[in-house]
Amino acid sequence: MIRVLIIDDERHAREEMEALLNETGEVEVVGSCENAFEALKAINKHRPDVVFLDIQMPMVNGFELLSMVNSEIMPHVVFVTAYDEYSLKAFEEKTLDYILKPVSIKRINKTIAKLKELLITAQPVAFEAEEIKRIPCLIGKRIKLIGLDKVEFVSAGTRGHYLVTSEDEYYTDITLKVLEERTNLIRCHKQYLVNMDFVNEIALLENGLGVITTSSGGSVPVSRMYLKKIKSMLLL
Amino acid sequence: MDTLLFTQHNIFMLLQQMSVFLVIAYLFTKSPVFRTFNIGDLRPKQMIILYVVFSTFSIMGTYFGFPINDAIANTRAIGAVLAGIIGGPALGTAVGLTSGLHRVTLGGFTAVSCGISTTLEGLIGGLFHLYLVRTNQQSKLLSPKIAFIATFIAEIVQMFTILLTAKPYSEAVALVHIIYLPMIVANSCGSAIFVSIIRDQKSMFDKLGVIFSNKALRIADETLSILSKGFNQETADKLAKIIHQETKVGAVAITDREKVLAFHGIGSDHHKVGITLSAQPTIQAINEDRIIFIDGVRKRWKCTLSENCPLGSILSVPLRFENEVIGTINLFEPKNKLFLTMNKTLGEGITNLLSNQLLHVRYNEQKSLLVEAELKLIQAQINPHFLFNALNTIIAILRKDSDRARELLLHISNFFRTNLKRKGALATLEEEMNHVNSYLVIEKARFEDRLNLEINIDPDLLNIKIPVFTLQPLIENAIKHGISDMITPGTVKISAKRVDGMTFIAIEDNAGNCGEWDTTGLGMNIVEKRIKNLCGEQYGLEVDCVPEERTTVTVKLPERGCRSDKSTDY
Repeated sequence: MIRVLIIDDERHAREEMEALLNETGEVEVVGSCENAFEALKAINKHRPDVVFLDIQMPMVNGFELLSMVNSEIMPHVVFVTAYDEYSLKAFEEKTLDYILKPVSIKRINKTIAKLKELLITAQPVAFEAEEIKRIPCLIGKRIKLIGLDKVEFVSAGTRGHYLVTSEDEYYTDITLKVLEERTNLIRCHKQYLVNMDFVNEIALLENGLGVITTSSGGSVPVSRMYLKKIKSMLLL
Repeated sequence: MDTLLFTQHNIFMLLQQMSVFLVIAYLFTKSPVFRTFNIGDLRPKQMIILYVVFSTFSIMGTYFGFPINDAIANTRAIGAVLAGIIGGPALGTAVGLTSGLHRVTLGGFTAVSCGISTTLEGLIGGLFHLYLVRTNQQSKLLSPKIAFIATFIAEIVQMFTILLTAKPYSEAVALVHIIYLPMIVANSCGSAIFVSIIRDQKSMFDKLGVIFSNKALRIADETLSILSKGFNQETADKLAKIIHQETKVGAVAITDREKVLAFHGIGSDHHKVGITLSAQPTIQAINEDRIIFIDGVRKRWKCTLSENCPLGSILSVPLRFENEVIGTINLFEPKNKLFLTMNKTLGEGITNLLSNQLLHVRYNEQKSLLVEAELKLIQAQINPHFLFNALNTIIAILRKDSDRARELLLHISNFFRTNLKRKGALATLEEEMNHVNSYLVIEKARFEDRLNLEINIDPDLLNIKIPVFTLQPLIENAIKHGISDMITPGTVKISAKRVDGMTFIAIEDNAGNCGEWDTTGLGMNIVEKRIKNLCGEQYGLEVDCVPEERTTVTVKLPERGCRSDKSTDY
């Protein structure tokens, strides 16, 4: 069975897609998500083989969602959209398939056949993630998109990942690994990424460690392993 | 000789002389020089002309007089006093002095007295002028009554001057005794009549001016609405008819560059609509792009179409559009009638006016064409996206609730039918809401509990007219850029109310997606342009956005909606 995650902001569209996929008898629908945030969690949790992904979604669209997924668990992607040929063209080569709504069972069967072949030959996922420009963060029940140019550093704690800006701290579901790969944030510690644009000073400690002070006064530890790289970036 | 009889005789003699004098005065007021005068506001050059004219009159008054006892009974005073009243003390004194010096040269025992007194008379007229101007009674400068009183006083002053200065005194007394009555009566009446002649002539010119302006305004007014329908055979016919009626010339023809589009008046039996241009002046006017005028007197014009054509003069004015001659307007008079300068001026003016109007009409035409084209584009643009999503929703619902699916399909068909039917510029708010309602029912099915609707429309407003397709793009924006971009449930509020003499329709969403709202976007832009075009410049859209709270788009409309004829009315 192919493990599938459905991501679409419209309830009826999700239900219809689920019904059609079940009809094929070839898939197991592991989840159905109505926005990118739920989807990010579900992908991390269920690690589906493939996502059927709507492009137009609130706040974070389908393309942006993919840029936030860890490359090791990146699923195959089937885009599903009503009328968006224009923007799809740009992604045609990178994506497995795309389906136009309303969807016929015939069209789904064709996609499933293609998928099965891919999975049997264990071909790598073709999708190349884009660079992340805004990071979705949870504030109470609201979601806020923080521009990368405002982030001073990111830390990973026991309860999750925190973006720190000059004004506030925000919780996010995106892992440090993804942020390191797809943003210009620099790893300076196992649990820290720093935005070099905000580095104010680096204090070098005796045991080969360092501490970065950011523009707004935050301090970020630098481990022995990354100190040399950081120093060379600062032309020291 | 009986003194009384002699006095009466003198009065008649003087009045007789004065009649000749008044005829000359009348002729002067008919001359072109006189027409340009605006009494009460004289320029230096006009003052000089008046000085010459009144001095001549005054000196003529001396010659038209007749000798009595070595003196001259005369009407010299009229010129001096009137010069004073009309032109002020300086002019009056100047005229009086000139005429007085002239009298001195003629000699006699009153020569010097008359010289002094005439100067004084001019000054007296001037004092009246000063008084009237200072008390803001300029209109009385041409009052016969004032002229009478001023001359009356001036003549009495003259009599005293003669008594005081003429030598020997006994002869002066005898003379004054004879001439005081005829001189005072004849000069005072003469002044009054002279002034009334001037006044009548002035008011006649003013009336002519009023008639002329009225005519021009009426033609402008009537042709404006006609030309808004374009320049073609039909509108040319109407224009020719109006110009013919208003100018009352023999005939009016309107042509394009090749043929006659319309002809009204004498000679319409052979000057037929549709025939190729044959009149040389018209062809010349088009080719050389200038006004051609053949007055029928200095230069003759003959119709080439018929031997018996009664028309003998022609004014051909090119009608321009964007620097190109697109036709001509021609005014004709028959051979036995003079082509009036007024009609020539009027013909040229009307053609200029029409050229401007054509430009204006074309501009508006293109502007509204552009807006309509853009409207069509946006209608075509939104539909596929909406349609496919709607169909997808209905297909899904069909699995669970076929009744609801059927209802939704009916709404889709209503939405598209009303979309197709919308051809006019305006629709009632009720029609707009009906169109929007089908749209909203479908979108509500698509988003389900993510979209809440609050509609609050004052029922009194349902029959006001608004530009067609105003609300749908705005509501679509509220959903597309507002609700559909929210993670939590959203609300769209639609309300319409009248406040302070205006109608406001507000569309509000609670997304507050200010960055996404592109107020310069095509959809919003067209809606705004159409409202301004159809309802007036002071109306339109207003966007108010509070980040993460709400976006409100307010449609500002006239209190009673837009008028259906507005598009051709500005």
